[in-house]
Amino acid sequence: MSPRRRRWGNLVVTLLGLVVAAYILAPFAWVALSSIQPEKELFRVPPHWIPRIVTADNYRFIFTGKFPAGYQETGLLRGRISEKARDALPALRNSTIVALTVALANLIFGTIAAYTFARVRFRGANPLYVFILASRLLPPMAVAIPYYLIINRLGLLDRYSALILIHSTFTLPFTVWFLTIYFRRVPPDIEEAAMVDGCTRLQALLRIVAPVAAPALAATAAFAFMFSYNDFPFALFVTATIRSQTIPVIVSVTAVNPDVSFGVVAVAVVLTMIPPVAFAMVFRNYITRGLIAVTTTR
Amino acid sequence: MNLIVPPRPKYREARYAYATVLPVVLLVALFTLYPIGFAVVTSLREVVLYKPESTPFVGLKNYVDVIRSEFFTSAWGHTLTFAAGAVPFATVLGFGIAHLLNARTRMASFLNVTILLPWAIPTVISGIIWAWIFNSSYGAFNGALYSLGVIERYVPWLSRPTTALLSVLFAHVWKEVPLTSILYLAALQAIPDELFDAARADGAGALAALRHITIPLLIPTTLIIVVYETMVAIVTFDLLYVMTGGGPGGATSLISYFVYNSMFTSYNFGQGAALAVLLAASLVVFIVIYLRLLRSEELYRE
Repeated sequence: MSPRRRRWGNLVVTLLGLVVAAYILAPFAWVALSSIQPEKELFRVPPHWIPRIVTADNYRFIFTGKFPAGYQETGLLRGRISEKARDALPALRNSTIVALTVALANLIFGTIAAYTFARVRFRGANPLYVFILASRLLPPMAVAIPYYLIINRLGLLDRYSALILIHSTFTLPFTVWFLTIYFRRVPPDIEEAAMVDGCTRLQALLRIVAPVAAPALAATAAFAFMFSYNDFPFALFVTATIRSQTIPVIVSVTAVNPDVSFGVVAVAVVLTMIPPVAFAMVFRNYITRGLIAVTTTR
Repeated sequence: MNLIVPPRPKYREARYAYATVLPVVLLVALFTLYPIGFAVVTSLREVVLYKPESTPFVGLKNYVDVIRSEFFTSAWGHTLTFAAGAVPFATVLGFGIAHLLNARTRMASFLNVTILLPWAIPTVISGIIWAWIFNSSYGAFNGALYSLGVIERYVPWLSRPTTALLSVLFAHVWKEVPLTSILYLAALQAIPDELFDAARADGAGALAALRHITIPLLIPTTLIIVVYETMVAIVTFDLLYVMTGGGPGGATSLISYFVYNSMFTSYNFGQGAALAVLLAASLVVFIVIYLRLLRSEELYRE
């Protein structure tokens, strides 16, 4: 290729890249800008693409409950504020507690089970493994009511443990499968030597295998966290009050209310996105590799 | 290896094995076998909210009623229309973006970081953002078209059947493109550079290389993406809940939303269960195809 053509090629790639970056980022920018403008500004036709009036009022409302100034002047708009949006903070706390517990449950139970499937020969190993994996094939909407009934019978409606159980059911098969494949690739020599020296299976896993497999463990924990944090339908069905409602539930039921203030919900949306976006940045490489493995490995 | 390591006591090993897999197996069994059994049993009975004591066995009546209902047919129609739009769109866009991600430029490293973001956030959150973008009184899309002089007044995109479905489709593709791009990127990186070098040495241009090397070698990945994305399109629910609520007039009531609606707003649990069984069964068809494709795909077997 001539240098001139290459320069043109690079220019085209850069321009297309900018278009794609804008396509991906514009929605984030739009909601972030909405969160720092007064309600009135948001309804301007045509919109001010660069905000003229910047305010922290919407954030102040979410954090302190103090009504944004504009809403008190205009009685009409005042009704548009949903008190429910203020549940965003406790809902964020609920989501974080549930998602961290699910990640931890995956790390503990998923790792131990996967190590067994990878190393120990026992009767029924294969059917059990296939059963665990196949369970993931049920479409969520097909199991919604039975899940509700199970949770109800266990007396766990509107409790963290309901969400933790359901989210673990959905994430553990992936964790077990991912780690079983991973562990099988680790040469067993060192563990076997350690076990000859009197180390138990569990000790071999904790002291020798787990440190080596740390990146894979981090990836599965990140996936479990994100699944749990992002789940909507199940969180909608088995939660009832802010005692256990997670952030996707609070933001969704608030946002579909036609009288809600966009600016205030935009704050909730921005706050909701912070943890998963931070997670995606930190664990980017693991997530990318994990995504490829999930969809393309048997 | 077994010759060197003395066999460990068998029963202890087996006990350890069952003890360690038991928590996962029990949890999965509880949330798999019971729901399946429940759905099948319920689907064969008449279970409606206002008659909780009487749930007579009705055989396949629920299935017949469901399949005959025009709502069921139209929900599948909308679902297939949606999939027919979303799947090619997400696939082609992912193919293109993967090439940008694969370029060795500063822009590519920036894109590699940002591409994950739509995937990372909760689906309902992306739905809310897109619902606002297409909003009739404050939407960015209306604002942009108005500023450009394309429209004279704001259009209620989400209140018209065709544009509502298109809006959801747009949001869906935005959410799915990270995955398709990353899968294509992985496949692109697996193609040996020598192939392109050889093609260039033979005087082939970029387009010829794309047509004769890249596209044929990416066919397996494309098949996997197409089947996977079809399944994802069929189970779409979250976006519909926050963007359209299945409306207007059922125009965006895709099959998963239709099932939800039958159970939680019509309270006809018998029919809801029959629908759930039918949905699960139809997905099994796709999953079987999907697994076949994966099995035949040597590229990814490590």
